Amino acid sequence: MADLTAFSYHPGRSFLHLLDVRFKIIFLILISLTGMQADPPALCLLTFLFLCLIKSSRLSLISILKELRYFLVLLFFVLIARALSTPGTPVFEFKLLSISRQGLYDGILICWRLALVVLLGLIFVSTTRPSEIRTAVAWFLKPFPFIPGKKVATMIGLIMRFVPVILAQAKETSDAQRARGIENRKNPIYRLVKLAVPLIFKTFQNANNLAVAMEARCYSENRTDPDLSSKKNDWIAFFFVICLCILVVEI
Amino acid sequence: MNIIEIRGLSHRFSDGTLGLDAIDIEIKEGEFIVIAGRNGSGKTTLLRHLNGLLRPQTGSVKLAGISVSEDFVRARQMVGMVFQDADSQIIGETVYDDVAFGPENLRLERSEVQQRVSMALEAGGLIDLADHRPHLLSGGEKRRLAIAGILAMKPRVIVFDEPFSNLDYPGVKQVLEQILTLHQAGHTILITTHDLEKVLAHADRLVIMQKGKIVRDGLPNKIVTETEAFGVRQPCTSRLGLEIGSWLI
Repeated sequence: MADLTAFSYHPGRSFLHLLDVRFKIIFLILISLTGMQADPPALCLLTFLFLCLIKSSRLSLISILKELRYFLVLLFFVLIARALSTPGTPVFEFKLLSISRQGLYDGILICWRLALVVLLGLIFVSTTRPSEIRTAVAWFLKPFPFIPGKKVATMIGLIMRFVPVILAQAKETSDAQRARGIENRKNPIYRLVKLAVPLIFKTFQNANNLAVAMEARCYSENRTDPDLSSKKNDWIAFFFVICLCILVVEI
Repeated sequence: MNIIEIRGLSHRFSDGTLGLDAIDIEIKEGEFIVIAGRNGSGKTTLLRHLNGLLRPQTGSVKLAGISVSEDFVRARQMVGMVFQDADSQIIGETVYDDVAFGPENLRLERSEVQQRVSMALEAGGLIDLADHRPHLLSGGEKRRLAIAGILAMKPRVIVFDEPFSNLDYPGVKQVLEQILTLHQAGHTILITTHDLEKVLAHADRLVIMQKGKIVRDGLPNKIVTETEAFGVRQPCTSRLGLEIGSWLI
């Protein structure tokens, strides 16, 4: 269970840690949207900037790469699919398979953009307390009368809290079934059903226990939320992010 | 002064099983009570009536003279409950957030929340782990976090449901030490267990339950020899005719 550390808050007092969470969410959206249209020079600029942010936030680049290892595998498949499916000058041919120069270029560009968006998300989550994210979500949803912002925020918080617990439970159930020889069963549907049924049962049981524990601690939607206040640094950062987005689109 | 007064309390589950059968008990402020009994004897059902998680079907539960049913928020603030499975009690995404959950629900000022969280983390020896994620803590640390989450609500009574289950020896000692510190600080302590060995040396009173009824209630050294008739193992030292020893010595 201890290895489930992806996308978690890392305490600190860096510039990013101290920024108002609402600004950080806006930055995340703006940079992600512009980054998805960026060309190689702009991507180089964003990569350099993100590396500087990682360093200044005292996050470990190696552990970040480790946390993104499964995503990197996914990106590799995206690259291969793009390289094989885009027509153009072939750089490698084997029977019916042909990898084109344009396909490789497009694949690398898409993977680079996706990797930067995920990296930005990881930097955001690593430098922001989950309770602040929850409060900011409720704050952004306040103007929408038909969306219960506080409920949505609580649900997000509980999902963030419970995903690792559900994963750990899945591993425990899977280990217990392997100990009784489920690997001898080759039918993947049979194995999936045998894993899903006890896992769902246990998850519902945990959810029920959690509801009782929340009730025992006087849970209500009207709670004391973390204070959100914007400072001078937030507005300076906002100015820089706007400039950065314009620069990324232009170059 | 009686902090808890239960009169004629009965509870029947939806499948028809009788969980509690006409329970009468009075608990004085500052008492340290161990409630023992085999699985399904009604221990947890009784505890869940103390803070209104279960509502009396017949009879009454009063806290410092006021019925639990009249004010559930008061009851839950007054009676803190540490559940058997610490994992399902921990709600926050970080240790700090989890301890703050109760005070935030009470809508206290932010400064008061911070002060209470610091006090509770200090009491639980968890200050250095404030920003850690709860599910990465050890079993003993999780149990201490569950206690800290309750302490931040400043309860007068603290109820522990099987507090030593799934803990190793150091974990049991840490939790036991913390329970004793809370008792010395003036909290009324109620512990349910079927393992008397670990805690009975510190208790003022032993209550034994069977089939939803209180079948014995008295000084631990007076009734400990009768426990095995009700499915609770008698501590080793007591079997040998010796005084029951503390796990902390």
